[in-house]
Amino acid sequence: MEDPSKSTTSEAHTLSDSVDLDDATRSEMEKAGVIVSSVDWLYNWARSGSVWPLQFGLACCAIEMICSAGSRYDIARFGSEVFRPSPRQADLLIVSGTVTKKMAPQVVRIFNQMPEPKYVIAMGACAISGGPFKQGYNVLKGIDRYIPVDVYIPGCPPRPEAVLHSLMTLQKGIRRQRTLGKGSNNPAYVEGNREYPVPSFSGKDLDPPYNPEVWQPPEKRPNMPEDGCP
Amino acid sequence: MLVQFANWVQGELACSPALAKIVGILLAAVPLATVFALCFAFTTWLERKGLARIQNRIGPNRVGPFGLFQPIADGIKMITKEDIVPRSSDHFFHLIAPLLVLVSSMACLAFIPFGLGMTMSPIDTAVVFFFAILGMNTLAVFLAGWASRNKYSLLGGMRAVAQMVSYEIPLVLSAVTVVMMVGSLDTREIVGAQVVEGWATSENSGLRFLGQIAGWHVFTPWGFAGFIIFFIAALAETNRSPFDLPEAESEIIAGYVTEYSGFKFALFFLGEYIGAFAVLGLAITLFLGGWNGPNFQPWWSSDPHALLIPGFVWFFFKMFVLMAVLIWIRGTLPRLRVDQLMSFAWKFLLPLALVNVFVAGFLFHVAKEDRVWASVAAFVFLYLVAKGLSRMNQSDAPAPRKYHFAE
Amino acid sequence: MTMESSVVAGSEPTVEPRGFELIEREGLETNLLEVSMGPHHPSTHGVFRMDVKLDGETVTELRPVFGYLHRNHEKLAEDMGYLGSMPFTDRLDYFCSMTNNWAYALAGEKMIDLEVPERAEYVRVIMAELTRLVNHIMLVGFFVNDLGALGTPLLYALREREKILDLFEWASGARMMCNYMRFGGLRNDLPEGWLTKCREVVDAFPYFLDEYEKLLVENEIILVRTQNVGVLKPELAINAGITGPMLRASGVNYDLRKVDAYGVYDRFPFRVPMGEVGDCYDRFMVRILEMRESIKILRQAMDELPEGPIMGEAPRVFKPPAGEIYGRIEGPKGELGFYLVSDGTAKPYRYRVRPPSLVNLTVLEDLCLGHKVADAVVILGSVDIVLGEVDR
Repeated sequence: MEDPSKSTTSEAHTLSDSVDLDDATRSEMEKAGVIVSSVDWLYNWARSGSVWPLQFGLACCAIEMICSAGSRYDIARFGSEVFRPSPRQADLLIVSGTVTKKMAPQVVRIFNQMPEPKYVIAMGACAISGGPFKQGYNVLKGIDRYIPVDVYIPGCPPRPEAVLHSLMTLQKGIRRQRTLGKGSNNPAYVEGNREYPVPSFSGKDLDPPYNPEVWQPPEKRPNMPEDGCP
Repeated sequence: MLVQFANWVQGELACSPALAKIVGILLAAVPLATVFALCFAFTTWLERKGLARIQNRIGPNRVGPFGLFQPIADGIKMITKEDIVPRSSDHFFHLIAPLLVLVSSMACLAFIPFGLGMTMSPIDTAVVFFFAILGMNTLAVFLAGWASRNKYSLLGGMRAVAQMVSYEIPLVLSAVTVVMMVGSLDTREIVGAQVVEGWATSENSGLRFLGQIAGWHVFTPWGFAGFIIFFIAALAETNRSPFDLPEAESEIIAGYVTEYSGFKFALFFLGEYIGAFAVLGLAITLFLGGWNGPNFQPWWSSDPHALLIPGFVWFFFKMFVLMAVLIWIRGTLPRLRVDQLMSFAWKFLLPLALVNVFVAGFLFHVAKEDRVWASVAAFVFLYLVAKGLSRMNQSDAPAPRKYHFAE
Repeated sequence: MTMESSVVAGSEPTVEPRGFELIEREGLETNLLEVSMGPHHPSTHGVFRMDVKLDGETVTELRPVFGYLHRNHEKLAEDMGYLGSMPFTDRLDYFCSMTNNWAYALAGEKMIDLEVPERAEYVRVIMAELTRLVNHIMLVGFFVNDLGALGTPLLYALREREKILDLFEWASGARMMCNYMRFGGLRNDLPEGWLTKCREVVDAFPYFLDEYEKLLVENEIILVRTQNVGVLKPELAINAGITGPMLRASGVNYDLRKVDAYGVYDRFPFRVPMGEVGDCYDRFMVRILEMRESIKILRQAMDELPEGPIMGEAPRVFKPPAGEIYGRIEGPKGELGFYLVSDGTAKPYRYRVRPPSLVNLTVLEDLCLGHKVADAVVILGSVDIVLGEVDR
């Protein structure tokens, strides 16, 4: 039952709960780190060693993303050169560039189309917050308003080294995750099949302006003006 | 060794023939499946490393020594990934298609002799069965394209059917020459026919050494042309570059696998490579002397027929050499277009394969002492036919242009 | 397991069998297949979308849809001082930030009749020609990638691009978004030793081009795939306002470096390669030949580079008199122009970019009709668009 290959469905966490072990034995085993942790280790090792990004470029940052696959940087060393064109086979969505309001529904839809476990890297100032185009009427102020982001890369555009570093950070994060047993912190299994509502673009603005499940506007500080900009 | 073990087990189980039969099949099938799954893993590593070297990169090197465990990591990841079935797809066929690809490719392996007595299913009509089962691949790919209910998948599936059906004909025709010359459909006999009889049994070790190569069909005019036709058609049959149109990623996303994720995608991947192994295995069997290769008499043995290098080593060596050629081609060539692909099959490969059949028939009836001259003439004739065909096909032959400059 | 709201990957959601149009053919009932390629598609060079109607594999109708990267560049520029837009021009065509800078600086200098020192003009020429090398080599790489050559030529191109980007980084501090030019000159002088390094890179470039041509130019598959595909007639090219290498591939001699002779381009003898047929192969070859001419210009400019100041007598606050101006240069993709209307304040009243990519893209349907869907991708690749510039 501990075999992760059986837990392809989102009910994985309930599945591992139904293992015929009483809690005492389980905790003892976990203390001893016998099966659960070694399966977890193998699972994390495999996932972190083969993160396949989606071949998906938005703007300027996409060029640096492609550069990171080039011979000077070579993302292939980490096993991630397999840029899959179809979201169905990808693990990692690199939001590389400015997300406009017309494009945001498509980005969320692509995230929904990806199978679990999936990760998101927000690459560049635009994807994080709107960047230099933040004041514009057609630019989404950060993709994290709609989908959960695992790693942010600042920069405009970030260098390919930064892309590699973000990938290594993501790998570290994956290795820290615990999937089996109580207290799992792997969102792919705890939250199940993560699918977020696709905002609709009315031609003027996005509806809703953000997804409250994922993002909440920061609390207003007393000395700040209404629009939140100093 | 494995063969001896299998024979021993079957001997032990002789009391119940039914059980012996089942165990016998399992004993043959399980090693086959494992060995080729390992071959697949190694090939994906070789491909990623090879492509990386072609492109001045290093390639995977973080997971295991030299990135050797990369396929294992990929495998575990793909098995544990969520399996998405689009709501509007045909669920049953969506499930069955990847299985069909894998099963048909695996079944093809049963007829390939990997070494002496290492044919899983030794039957008299192996070549016919091989092509019959290989044809299922086409069906499975089309099923995948159709069942996904994605327009890109559909386009990929249609392309795959057109391509595979048209390339199957030159593939079979070039195999027909071998069958004609050997006079048997049994793959073991075809391999046996590629050893020069007198030399292989001679007392002279040098002649014995040569006898294992000199008889390869690829060194005859019809065999040479047949091998080239077979190899090109095999590229198309297994969807390898430059004929990878059914999954052309710059045009139709991922073709028929666009809607497949997780384990089903892995099955497609596996099935495709196993299919490539099977077709290459047949190419080796028909033209490259099967498990034969230059060999020596081991120093500890006094039996002149004992071989130092076991046959299957030669077989797998040849297979990986051909696989490396495939990877090399993949890293170098752009892709053809649909109509060019079809016209290449029907207007060039098919006539050439037909002419080749006639040449083989002609050589079959030439008396033994005239063989040499006839072979040279056949070589020249085949070359001229190929040249003429390519000239005829290109009414406006594409050529590099001269450019002028404005000051 | 089944996803509740699964849609077709990589395209707009199709709920019901929409997009199948019945056509009658000799008693057979067949359907036109409507495919929405993009905005997420591996070879639309960003977030461009083509709504294609296919008869089998043949394109019968093609509707380009853009605006997925509309970043309100022009509106933002009208809301800030003139110089404030300079870094934003980097992000227009993100392969060629140097030429974008130059075009905008040229327009600004025209507004107040600003004299640019000679050294600055020469450095601008060097930077612009290096940019042309970067752009063309990347274009060729992506083009061959669209043809299906699994990345190898693209990665070779990236390797060479890195060397030039190093030069940019050394001079301006940034790899891609250089923000190097100012009204009246340059932000800073070339660092010490830069020229030697630049000479090394430029001298090594022809060897790379030789290797690259050997790999690609006589490759039979490339010849078959690109010749007589997407032929652009010179009349249509002129009527549609096509500029740049695409126009010259159709056999029209129009190069702003010769016509306007802006900067110091009249001091360099160079030739302009011309195509005859106007197909994808010509567009591909004209760019390769242009790179060789760029190398000639670069060599001469580096030899003749004078000493002196790099910044003219630019005013502290850029406040041009009321009026309008159009400044243009020959960018790597075509005529890149900036149209500025001033009302006498420190902010432009109207700021408009003439993007070569967008204008060149307008003939896409004419080029693609009747070709296969695989050709449509190749033709789009040969047009050389960058979405940052198309959508602005």
